[in-house]
Amino acid sequence: MIWHIIKRELFDHINSLRFILTVVILSALMVTNAAVHLRTHTESVRNYSENVTKSFNKIKSRTQLYSLAEKGPGNLYKSPSSLAFIADGGNAYLPGRISNGESWSKSGPGWKVKSNWWLNYGTVNPDAKDFLPQATKIDWVFIITYLLSFIPLLFTFDALSGEREQGTLRLCLANPISRHLLLIGKFLGTLITVLIPFVFAVLLNLAVISADSWTQLNAADWGRLGLVLLIAFSYAGIFVGLGLMISAGTREPRVSLVILLLIWVATVVFMPSTLGTLSTKWMPPLQTIDQFHAARDAALKQIDTDYNDRLNAIKEKKNPNLLSLSDLQKLFETSPETARAAAEKFMAAYETEGDEELALKAELVNRDVETRERFNRQYLEAQIAQVQRARGVTRFSPAAIVQYALESMAGTGFNRHLQYLEHVHDYTKQFRQFIVDTDRADTESRHLIGIPEGMSEKPFSSEAIPKFEDKIAFSDTFNTATLDLLLLVLLLGVFFSGAFLIFLRSEV
Amino acid sequence: MFRNLIRQELLNHLMSARFFAAVVITLLLVVANSIVLLEDYERRLARHSHQENIHRQKVQEAKTYSTLKLSIERPPNPLSLFSTGLDKRLGSTFEIYHGLVPMISDGSARSLDNAFLNLFSKIDLALIFQVVLSLMALLFAYDAIAGDWENGTLRLVISHPVRRGTVLLAKYIGAMVCLLIPVLMSLLLVMILLSTASSIQLSGADFLRIGGIVLTTTIYLSVFYLIGLLISTTTRRTATSLMLCMFLWVALVLVYPNWSRFALTPVGDTRAIHSSTSQQVEQIWEEVDREERRFLANSPLEGKPQKFNLDVPQSSSFNSKGNLSRRYGVDMKVSNQSDPLVPHVQKYHATMGALYIRSAEQIALVRKQSLDSTSLRKAIWHERLMKLSPASLYTFATSTWAGTDLEGMSDFVQAAQAYRRTVIDYFHDKDAFASRQWFASDKGAVDWWDLPQFRFTQAGVWDNATRVLPELFLLLLINVVLFTTTFLFFTKIEV
Repeated sequence: MIWHIIKRELFDHINSLRFILTVVILSALMVTNAAVHLRTHTESVRNYSENVTKSFNKIKSRTQLYSLAEKGPGNLYKSPSSLAFIADGGNAYLPGRISNGESWSKSGPGWKVKSNWWLNYGTVNPDAKDFLPQATKIDWVFIITYLLSFIPLLFTFDALSGEREQGTLRLCLANPISRHLLLIGKFLGTLITVLIPFVFAVLLNLAVISADSWTQLNAADWGRLGLVLLIAFSYAGIFVGLGLMISAGTREPRVSLVILLLIWVATVVFMPSTLGTLSTKWMPPLQTIDQFHAARDAALKQIDTDYNDRLNAIKEKKNPNLLSLSDLQKLFETSPETARAAAEKFMAAYETEGDEELALKAELVNRDVETRERFNRQYLEAQIAQVQRARGVTRFSPAAIVQYALESMAGTGFNRHLQYLEHVHDYTKQFRQFIVDTDRADTESRHLIGIPEGMSEKPFSSEAIPKFEDKIAFSDTFNTATLDLLLLVLLLGVFFSGAFLIFLRSEV
Repeated sequence: MFRNLIRQELLNHLMSARFFAAVVITLLLVVANSIVLLEDYERRLARHSHQENIHRQKVQEAKTYSTLKLSIERPPNPLSLFSTGLDKRLGSTFEIYHGLVPMISDGSARSLDNAFLNLFSKIDLALIFQVVLSLMALLFAYDAIAGDWENGTLRLVISHPVRRGTVLLAKYIGAMVCLLIPVLMSLLLVMILLSTASSIQLSGADFLRIGGIVLTTTIYLSVFYLIGLLISTTTRRTATSLMLCMFLWVALVLVYPNWSRFALTPVGDTRAIHSSTSQQVEQIWEEVDREERRFLANSPLEGKPQKFNLDVPQSSSFNSKGNLSRRYGVDMKVSNQSDPLVPHVQKYHATMGALYIRSAEQIALVRKQSLDSTSLRKAIWHERLMKLSPASLYTFATSTWAGTDLEGMSDFVQAAQAYRRTVIDYFHDKDAFASRQWFASDKGAVDWWDLPQFRFTQAGVWDNATRVLPELFLLLLINVVLFTTTFLFFTKIEV
C-alpha cells in the first residue's frame, strides 16, 4: 500500500511545473559551479605548487645554519582542496599563507644583534583593494542550503492542507490505510521527487569536473562525496518534514506557505550570519588589537631593558670603574681630553665579547622570539575561541550545520584553517629542532642558537632540512562532521514526528 | 467604487496571516541586525577618533617639514546602517604626502580585532527589505487575479459598473500600502534605536537620504508586486502562478546576483596592464634620478641626502623607496662649519620637492589609467551585469543614496587629493621646500598651528539624487512596462 502512495505522489509531482523548474535551476547552478571550479582550481593548484617550490628553493639556498635560524623557513602555504567546489568556506577571509614576521636589529658600541625568525600569523583583509560588489560563491553549500530547503517547502506546503481543501484527503483515509503510512508515503514521495533533480544535477556537475585532469578525485574523495550527499538528503528531509508539519497544522495552503517561507527566510537566509555576529555581543570581550599591541610591546621593551641592564652589569664586573654613557657625555663637556681616553676604554670594553655576553645575546634573541610568538598565539587562540563560540550558536540554523559539515567534508573553511595552523606549529617545532640537532652535532660550536658567533658553521646537507607540506587530513574533521550529521538526523526525526503528531490529531 | 475596492483589498490583506507574519519577521530581523550594526558603527566611530588623535600627534612630533607624516581618516558613514556598501571594506586611512597623489586603492585598512569574524557577513537593512519584502510582495500578488478568478469573485466585481483598469489599480494601491507598513514600522524602530545611541547624529540631509531610500524601496517592491500581478493575470491557476512567482524570486533575488558575479568575468589581460604601468612608473623615476644627478653634479654636495658632506653631529632620518613613491625625512643639527653648504642643501631640497610633486602627478595619471582599465573596469562591469536583476538595482540604488557606493568613496579620495594640493600650497606659501626647516630643526622646530585642517563633507543630497537617477529610472521603467502589460492582459482575459 505504501508503495502505492509513494508512486502516486511521485507521478503527481513529476508532472508538475515545479518539478521542471527545479530541474532547470538546479542543473544550471551545478553546471556553473563545475565550470567555474575548472577555471579557478587549475590556477590555484598551479599557484600553490609554484609557491611551494619557490619556498623550497629558498631554504635550499641557505647554507649557513645561522641564516636558517635568522631567516626561517620562508612562506608556508596552505594547500588548496580539490573538493573546494563543494564548499568554498570563506576562503577569501582566511589567510592562505604564513610569512615571516618583521625583523629588527639592535646595536650598541661595537656589538650588534639581529632578530631571529618568528611565526607571524597575519590577517587578511581581502576587500581593501577590491571594489567589486559583494556576492556569495555558488558552491554546493549555496545550492544545498538555499535551494534544497526552499524547493521541499514548495512541494509540501499543500501536501496535506491542499488535499484537505479539495477533499481528497478524506477520500484517501477512507481506504483501509493508517495515517502514519500515509504520512510516510507522502514524506518519501516528496523527498524522492526533490532528490531526483538534485542527484541529476550532481551527476552533471561531477561529469564535468571529473572530465578534467587537474582535479583527480580518489576513492576517499568519492567516499566523502557520498557523505555529502547523505548530508544533503537529510537536510532536504528536514524541510520536507517541516513542510508536512506546517501543512498538517493549517487549514489553508496559502497560510501554510506564508508561514513556511517566513521560517525559511529567517532560518536559512538570515540566521547563519545574524546569529554569528549577534552572539559576539554577549561573549567575553576580546582585547582590542591596540591593547594587544600595547601589551606585547611592553613585554618586548622589558626584555630589552633587561638585556641592557645585564650587559652593563657584565661589563662593569669585567672592567671595574667603567664610566656609563651618560657620565661620559657629562665628562665631554668639562674635560674633552680625559673623556676621549675614557671613551676609548669604553669602546674597547664593549667590543670584546666573551662567552657571557654572547650567551646574553642569544638569550635576548630567543626570548624575543618566544615572547612574540607567545603573545601572538594567545591572541590567535582568543580569536579562534570567539569564532568557535559564534559557530556553535549559529548551529541553531540547519543551514549553518550543513555548511560546517560540508566544509569539513571538502577540507575547506575554518576548521581546515585550524588544521593548517596546527601543521604550521608542528613544522615550526620540527624546523627548530633540526637547527638544534645540527648544531649539537658540531663539537666546535658554542651551542648558542640565535647568534652567528654561537652556532655551527659546518656545512650541512640542504636535503635534510625539514620541508613544510600542508596535507589535508580528514580524520579529525570527520568527528565534527559526524556530530553535525547526527544533529541533522535528530532534527529530521523531530520534524517528522512533529508532523506525525499534528497530523494524527488533526481533523480531516 | 474605487475607494470601496481599495478598502476591500486593504482589509483583505491587513487581516491576513501573511501580513501579520511578514510584519513580525521583518521587525525581528530589523531589530536584531540594527543592534549589531549600531554597535559596529559605534566601534568604528571610536576607532576613527582614536586614529585621528594619533594622526594629530604625529603631526606635532614632526620637527622639520620633511619629517611631517600627515594622514587622514575617512569617517564611518552613519547611513551604512541602511546600506553597508563599500563603507567598511575599503581602507580608510590615507597618507597625505606631496610625492604621492592618493588613489582609491591606497587606503590602508586597519587590522580588525578579529578578522575571522568576517566569515559571518553582516546584514544591512536594505538586504532585509530586498529579500523579505520582495517575497512578501509576490505572496500578495500571486493570487490577486488568479485567486479571484478561481473563486469567482472576479466575475462578481467586474459585473459592477467599474472599469477593469480601476480594479487593477485598486488592487495595486491596496497591496502597496500594506507592503509599505512594515517598511515604515521598521524605519520607526530603527529611528528609536538610533536615538538611544548618542554617538550618531543624523543631519537634515541624512533624513532626506533616508527618505530617498524609502522611495527606492517603494519602487522596488512595486516591481515585485507587478511581476506577481502579471503572472497572476496570465495564469489561470493560483498553483501555477505561485510556482512561477517563487522560482522567479529565487532566480532574481538569490541566484542571479551571485551567479553573475561568480560565473562571468570580464576578459582582459590585467597582468599586461600592470606590468606596462610599472614600466611607465619606472621611467618617470629614472627621469627623476637623472635630474637629481644633474643637480648634484653642479653642486658641491656629496654623499647621501641624509647627511651629504656636512658636519652633522646629530641627525635622525628615514628613507623609503617604494614603487609608487619615494620619501625621505631629515632632521639634523648642522654644525657651524658647514654653514656655507647650507644654501646648497636648501636648493637641493627645493629641487627635489618640485621634482617629487611633478613625478607624483605624472604617476597619478598613469595609475589612474591602469586602475580604470583593471579593477574599476571590473567593478563597473560586474555592477552593470548584476543590474539586470531588479534586486541588485535596488542594492546599488540604496548604497548610492547612503553614499557608500564607489562614487561616494571616490568623493573622499578626491577630497584627499584636494587636501594634498592645499598642503602643497601651504608649503609653497611658507617657502618650506627651500627653507632650512625642511631638513634641520636646529634653528627652531616647525610650528604647525596654521597647517590647513582636512575636512570632508559628503556629497549633497542633490548629488546623491542625480547619481541614483539611472537606477531609479530603470526601476520606474520596469514598473511602467509591467503595469501596462498587466493591464493589457487583464483587459483581454475572459472572466
